[in-house]
Amino acid sequence: MTTFNPLRLDGRHILVTGASSGIGRRTAVMLHALGARLSVVDRDEAGLVSLGAELSAGEAVAQHVADLSDIAGIEALVGRCVDAGGRLHGVVHCAGIQAIVPVRTLQIDGWRRIFAVNTEAALMLGKCLSSRKVYAGQHGAIVFISSVMGTVGSVGAVAYSMSKAALDGMARSLSLELASRGIRVNCIAPGFVRTPLFEQTERLWDEETKRAVEDLHPLGFGEAEDVAHAVAFLVADTGRWITGSTLVVDGGYLAR
Amino acid sequence: MSEPPVPATSVLITGASSGIGREMAVALSGAYSLILNGRDEERLEQTRLACQAPERHLCWARDLADATTLATALPAFLRQHDARVVGFVHCAALLKVLPLRSVTLAQAQDVMNTNVLAALEITRLLLRKDVNSKMLRSVVFVSSIASQFGARGFATYCASKAALDGLMKALAVELAPEVRVNSVLPGGVRTPMTEAMFDDPATAERLMRDYPLGAGLPSDIANAVAFLMSDQARWITGHQMVVDGGRSANISA
Repeated sequence: MTTFNPLRLDGRHILVTGASSGIGRRTAVMLHALGARLSVVDRDEAGLVSLGAELSAGEAVAQHVADLSDIAGIEALVGRCVDAGGRLHGVVHCAGIQAIVPVRTLQIDGWRRIFAVNTEAALMLGKCLSSRKVYAGQHGAIVFISSVMGTVGSVGAVAYSMSKAALDGMARSLSLELASRGIRVNCIAPGFVRTPLFEQTERLWDEETKRAVEDLHPLGFGEAEDVAHAVAFLVADTGRWITGSTLVVDGGYLAR
Repeated sequence: MSEPPVPATSVLITGASSGIGREMAVALSGAYSLILNGRDEERLEQTRLACQAPERHLCWARDLADATTLATALPAFLRQHDARVVGFVHCAALLKVLPLRSVTLAQAQDVMNTNVLAALEITRLLLRKDVNSKMLRSVVFVSSIASQFGARGFATYCASKAALDGLMKALAVELAPEVRVNSVLPGGVRTPMTEAMFDDPATAERLMRDYPLGAGLPSDIANAVAFLMSDQARWITGHQMVVDGGRSANISA
């Protein structure tokens, strides 16, 4: 099959969180290749530096080291992004904590940290983009990386599921509130994608468990690249009439 | 000795004579050779001429409400043109807005035949080795957000689109990993099929209020289908992709 070319993103300034590795990194690389001007955020400084080296050609990439569990600090962070790269057209929130913790051992601080990074940071980023000082005024697009765990359950995923289901719900209401400003808000719900985050989890499984989990995906495990293609489609004008939706990119996991 | 000629690989689009189907054909015509299906031969030919490189595309005029004849007609057509189908987009749909008391079983069967059973039968035929040499890779059904929600007068249409999405999920599981199967769920797009609804000012006003991003264009749906057909969606199967300008998020409106 031939390749479908989403519309270019030249002249658009997009903020990508969690950009040092995994889905965030592949997303940053793809949006940059499509011509976008990027501000990339991660708490892993070395990862950002190596991403910067990977993106040395083309539009400038502004790096910002920040821990997004500091919700109160996000407004200032977004302000720094605007100061450095101009007002924003879009935000892609890929940062996330994916911890498997049985409810019996789950601690208040633990689930609050998951909820802060996965969900509250997303809300604060959406809130910031709704400001005229931040939003460039056209081609607005927000994409939250949710998860199939926002729709179905899994043992040990209580806090993670909660954080991702909340994202899906937030996107629906936020999309209605921001539609009049021309900002679209959508989620992407990936299944199990081979990322450093996933490999941490995978190491805890024996061969049999690993095979069983992979078998839950009719197309097998995915790659971060697969999710990045979907982000590009939603951010570009190809997704012009899509808002308040969750795009499932899961190799068939939820269809079974 | 020369190699035997390689059969042309195509994308089959049903319902290509108007509306979303025609736009789909034009959008995909740059990247693929197309087989255009529709009832009206003349309008189908107009679609072909609107495509890029019209000489590359074939017209297959046929009414899908007569689903039982497809088993002979489709293989014969592919044989005649030595064509193989790598992608199948089912756009053909009947929509008759009728209160339940006016629905007849014969009319309901026509709707189910065109909207659902033709999709099942064509997919089944395209999987046969003797018909299509195991060439099918991607299937996209154009469903509707009416598969998720009720509306007055939409009994047969809602039933058919919900059935189409059920079929899509089952096929996605059964045919993986060789074939990906997805559906696109448009909201209210302005096409000849829906023009009557937009003509009524009261209905048009309500539609505008319900759709946060306004009414959609056929190209919005074509973009989604083109994405799902492409390798960029290689890890997407069994998904109902909603393309509705925010209508389903706004269902409380």
